[in-house]
Amino acid sequence: MSQAETENKLLQPLTMIGKYFMDMLAEAGAMFIFLMDGLLHIFSSTGIFNKTIKELYFIGVKSLTVISLIGLFTGMVVGLQTQYALSKFGSDGFLGAAVALSLVRELGPVLTAIMLTGRAGSSMTAEIGVMRISEQIDALELMDINPMNYLVSPKLLASLISFPILTALFDLIGIAGGYMTGVSLLGGNSGVYWHRVQTALGWDDISTGFSKSLIFAVLVCTVCCFQGYFTHHRKDGKGPEGVSQATTTAVVMSCVLVLVADYIITSLLL
Amino acid sequence: MNSTAPDIRIENLTIGYDGNPVVTHINATLPGGGITVILGRSGCGKSTLLKNILKLNTPMDGAVYLGRHNIYRLKRKAFRCLKQRIGVLFQDGALLGALTLFDNVALPLREHTRLKQQEIYEVVKSKLSLVGLEKFMDYYPNELSGGMRKRAGLARAMVMDPDILFCDEPTSGLDPINSAELDGLLLELKERFDMTVVVVSHDLASMETIADYVVVLGEGKTLFKGQKEELLATEEPYLRQFLDREGAKRATPRVTTAPLDPSVMKMDCAKYIGDLNSN
Repeated sequence: MSQAETENKLLQPLTMIGKYFMDMLAEAGAMFIFLMDGLLHIFSSTGIFNKTIKELYFIGVKSLTVISLIGLFTGMVVGLQTQYALSKFGSDGFLGAAVALSLVRELGPVLTAIMLTGRAGSSMTAEIGVMRISEQIDALELMDINPMNYLVSPKLLASLISFPILTALFDLIGIAGGYMTGVSLLGGNSGVYWHRVQTALGWDDISTGFSKSLIFAVLVCTVCCFQGYFTHHRKDGKGPEGVSQATTTAVVMSCVLVLVADYIITSLLL
Repeated sequence: MNSTAPDIRIENLTIGYDGNPVVTHINATLPGGGITVILGRSGCGKSTLLKNILKLNTPMDGAVYLGRHNIYRLKRKAFRCLKQRIGVLFQDGALLGALTLFDNVALPLREHTRLKQQEIYEVVKSKLSLVGLEKFMDYYPNELSGGMRKRAGLARAMVMDPDILFCDEPTSGLDPINSAELDGLLLELKERFDMTVVVVSHDLASMETIADYVVVLGEGKTLFKGQKEELLATEEPYLRQFLDREGAKRATPRVTTAPLDPSVMKMDCAKYIGDLNSN
């Protein structure tokens, strides 16, 4: 074996790692351009209002039940665990503050985004992916209907509207859930609970929660629409298999990005 | 032919994927006002050529002129205007699954015209009655048969009264009666509306019925271009074999292996259903 061949073999793992990162960087860049295109079309699109209403119904209204349920049970568990922990230090009175802050600042935006990724994001990917493989997107292009304008921008706008509203709903129901377990079940003081909720929550906490939900909306919608839109470029599967792979990738990538972004935003805003 | 419909000129076009050419140096002028059939065996590059003519793919070399416009040199807005002058019927219709037939056909009108709702309704109804689907306006694409979806796709392709109509394998997957009906429909449309029609197909019967001009692709090049009558009279061996479907006549039995031994089956089906032929 010549020296050059030996060197090549030794460098192969590094080359593979380098290629992996370059591919990842290229995909991130493509996603950013995709997002900018989608955002620009919100302002230049004709008839976006009607399309957005439809998407709002799908992303927002149809998610109300699941978000309410998750919010309620999350609040109930937080109420139970926090009451248990606080009672050990004789600080039961702070239950309302602890529940409200943890829900409004962290759990509300994150869990809402993750639930919406599973419920609405996966549908976005599958819908756009199926349209791609059945030539419906080609047909739109040839009818001079911009697919970004027709498919992506309304979803982006609807996500930007519905994520914060659903997060607010999650927070409210979660706080009520905390009350149910911490006060009604474990015998905490009702007046103190609501007083602490009111005094602990400042505008900073609420705006942090909403900022997060807006960023998560952009992340989830971009990743899910992008994966569906470029289903035909996938190397790990073509046709229906490609759509299922794209949907899986979209959900996993969205959830990971939501958690990573949550950490970054929290560390910047604290 | 006394027509004002635009010609389509293909100049030295080389098409392919990822740097690998599929068909090279295609030169042809598809006459305006007539039906051109692009013919060839499966996988010879017919649909790839169509995608290049429609600018869905980028060619490796060459140019395509729709009328006097080189589509690869056109500016964005000019190409958008050009797209509004063409109609495309995709293989399976490519109707939007979330919309009813009416909304599918109305979509280009809603996006590109200032027509009022009532006027859109009238236009869509007339186009759907043209293809015999006016009673199915409220149906969704998945509630229709393959033939109906193709006819609906044709109605959508025709809704803007295009100058050029492209059809990708319009008769594939259809029974002979539906195929003949669709051929008849294309001929009728050509007669009623002065337009250039380009059909990609491997259906010889359909070609014989509708074509004025034929381009045959194969072996990575253009094998024939000319009037249908010239093609039918050709003595060129490859084309003759293709036209006479000689593959079927010459085919030797390929099944040489012995039938599957029942003992290799995981389930002992004979125990449950016995011999299918015995009573």
